[in-house]
Amino acid sequence: MSSIPKTPSRYRSRSDAKTPLTPSLVSAMNGVSLSSRKRDCIADISNPFITRSRPASPKRSSSSVSSQAHSGIIRKGGVESRLDVISRDYVPPQSSHKKEIKRSRSTPAPRDRDRAHSSGAGGDRFITARDEGDVANTLEMMSLNNNNASPGHTARLAAATGVPIGRRVLAYHEAPPSASSDPALSQQRELARPLYGRPGALPSSTGTTTNKSRRINTQPVKVLDAPGMVDDFYLNLTSWSSQNAVAVALGECTYIWRADTGNVTLLGEAPEGTYVSSVDYSNDGAYLGIGLGSGEVELWDIEAGQKLRTMAGHQGQIAVLSWNNHVLSSGCGDGSIWHHDVRVPRHKVMELLGHSGEVCGLRWRADGEMLASGGNDNVVNIWDGRVGDVGEGARGTAKWTKRNHTAAVKAIAWCPWQTNLLASGGGTNDATIHIWNSGTGARLHSIKTPAQVTGIHWSPHRKEFLSTHGYPTNAIMVHAYPSMERVAEIRDAHDSRVLYSAISPAGDLACTGAGDENLKFWQIWDTASTKKKKSENKDRPASSTTKSGILSIR
Amino acid sequence: MATKQAPTRQAITLKGSTNLVTEFFKYAANTILFQRGVYPSDDFHMVKKYGQTVLVTQDLALENYLDRILSQVNKWLLTGSVTQLVLAIISKDSRVTLERWVFDVNLVEPPADSTTPSAPKPESEIQAEIRYILKQIVSTVTFLPIIDEPTVFNILAYTHESADVPADEWVDTDPLAIEASKSQQVKLRSFSTDVHRIEAMVAYRYEG
Repeated sequence: MSSIPKTPSRYRSRSDAKTPLTPSLVSAMNGVSLSSRKRDCIADISNPFITRSRPASPKRSSSSVSSQAHSGIIRKGGVESRLDVISRDYVPPQSSHKKEIKRSRSTPAPRDRDRAHSSGAGGDRFITARDEGDVANTLEMMSLNNNNASPGHTARLAAATGVPIGRRVLAYHEAPPSASSDPALSQQRELARPLYGRPGALPSSTGTTTNKSRRINTQPVKVLDAPGMVDDFYLNLTSWSSQNAVAVALGECTYIWRADTGNVTLLGEAPEGTYVSSVDYSNDGAYLGIGLGSGEVELWDIEAGQKLRTMAGHQGQIAVLSWNNHVLSSGCGDGSIWHHDVRVPRHKVMELLGHSGEVCGLRWRADGEMLASGGNDNVVNIWDGRVGDVGEGARGTAKWTKRNHTAAVKAIAWCPWQTNLLASGGGTNDATIHIWNSGTGARLHSIKTPAQVTGIHWSPHRKEFLSTHGYPTNAIMVHAYPSMERVAEIRDAHDSRVLYSAISPAGDLACTGAGDENLKFWQIWDTASTKKKKSENKDRPASSTTKSGILSIR
Repeated sequence: MATKQAPTRQAITLKGSTNLVTEFFKYAANTILFQRGVYPSDDFHMVKKYGQTVLVTQDLALENYLDRILSQVNKWLLTGSVTQLVLAIISKDSRVTLERWVFDVNLVEPPADSTTPSAPKPESEIQAEIRYILKQIVSTVTFLPIIDEPTVFNILAYTHESADVPADEWVDTDPLAIEASKSQQVKLRSFSTDVHRIEAMVAYRYEG
């Protein structure tokens, strides 16, 4: 065959190898004839570039015709040694002479095609319309031909895509790793997160919150059934006295639960047609103020278990009460705050007008110098507490008016160990706790919480305060002050929003009530070494209070 | 050897230039993968580079993959056998090439008259050029078509035929070209060291 004279022309023979083998590719590479194999063997030996630069070409996924033939020959032919010698022999001149040699050997190309034409039935497919040798030569130099059966196609492709001639296009053998998370999903997640997501649990990504956090018992130490407890954000239905008794209003009834003994007594019922909307113990724990939905304020003697007087005058629901010695202040649904002097028949000694919405947060500072109030108009007012000798009808004006909250302010708490500090927390749209300096009126700290703030209580013994929250977390949270870091959190303390709360006089337990008709007691802080005792009020009406002062709980 | 003890920063060597170019490819690839949303954006974190923040993947698998590719590119750059690098963004489902980010690598010919070597390019200037390219890649988001399907990428290296190729790692492949009739091309900035000149270009599928 014509292969023998072609043996020395090594470069030309590459196309030799290609041309006859292509049909054999069609016949699945198995029917390689002996003669062609021999010729291929020589051809491949003579093509050191392929041999050298692709030593592992059999492993390649893209099937290169010549290299496959090559591998087949090596396995069968037993000409490895010769192949080695020759290929090694031929390596050095490659880079410098390659192109030149190729060009110089281009002339035999027509002969190849002739041969191809004569040899195979499918061979005529490879007779291109262009019969000049340059085309074959060009194709030869192109590395594109590896995975193409048709050189004509290759030429067109080369022209169309501008793939450079004399270059190889290589890709890394493995595909890039797929994304660890589905990008579409993660985007969805990101978009959906603020809608229903609950904020992250305690060890948050900021990391800073964990260093001060501590474990607290997330189970209540006691649960009391509280049937009929109203689920109303604006009411204040629990109070814990310095005598260690908890007053709870359930509908129209007021119950006293004595923490020392565990006895429950029914104190009294509201008049027909109304309900109890707020309760508050006097500082010594001997009297209970009860605000009614009809606007009356009742005064009850705990020890005797009887009503002492009813102070009428308000037009709206009394959502909150706060005592300062003999003055009982009441916040009304019409936005007014009245000071009732419980000792005198004309009880209304002062009216504070500073809210346009219902007053739902009201708290006297322990020393009685200031009164803080929060309302449904999102305003926090701080009033001068000096009632003094002003007569009836005297009207006060707020010392500070704070409009930073964006929702109703129910949670109001004065700091027991730094008397200037006032904490206030806003409702659902706000969910922010602000700490104020009542002396300067400055806002000292703010903290955004995950849910509406329904109550704030400072720890008497620690630089911490707790806050209770509504939907979605229904949580009790403990924050450090002044870092405002979250120290502990009890998620889902109740099945519904935690509305009412009080802390024990010893400062270790917290009592919470909610619309799920449960009253739960939580061990938030350790029992303090010093028991907080309210200073006794001298000009308190002399009644049957026993100052036994049993303050410990069990 | 050299009589004059020139500070290394003055004359940038082939090796130094190669490392610089390789590093550029790393950040360019990361920027493209982030900007074009090939990988979810939360896989990326910000690092300071070239006097700006660059988003680099945190995905370990992807990081290693890029490193393996770039280490080979580094070798090719050293021998001068790579002429073009292409980052192709391909539709995951249809395998259609959507974008091709092309980086031509040209060797800067030393001036023919070797009387005096021209003043070496200060590194700050090179960095500024790199910064401009990266910024330009970011800004291409404004005109590139929105990709709203899952995509994968592929990195192609155009090498000389004589290039040394680790055989079981790199394979000949299709150039993943976009048909000329459906493609738009935008030339980006270029940057050059004393040895290499990198020219960037993006071609994207645009039928309209």
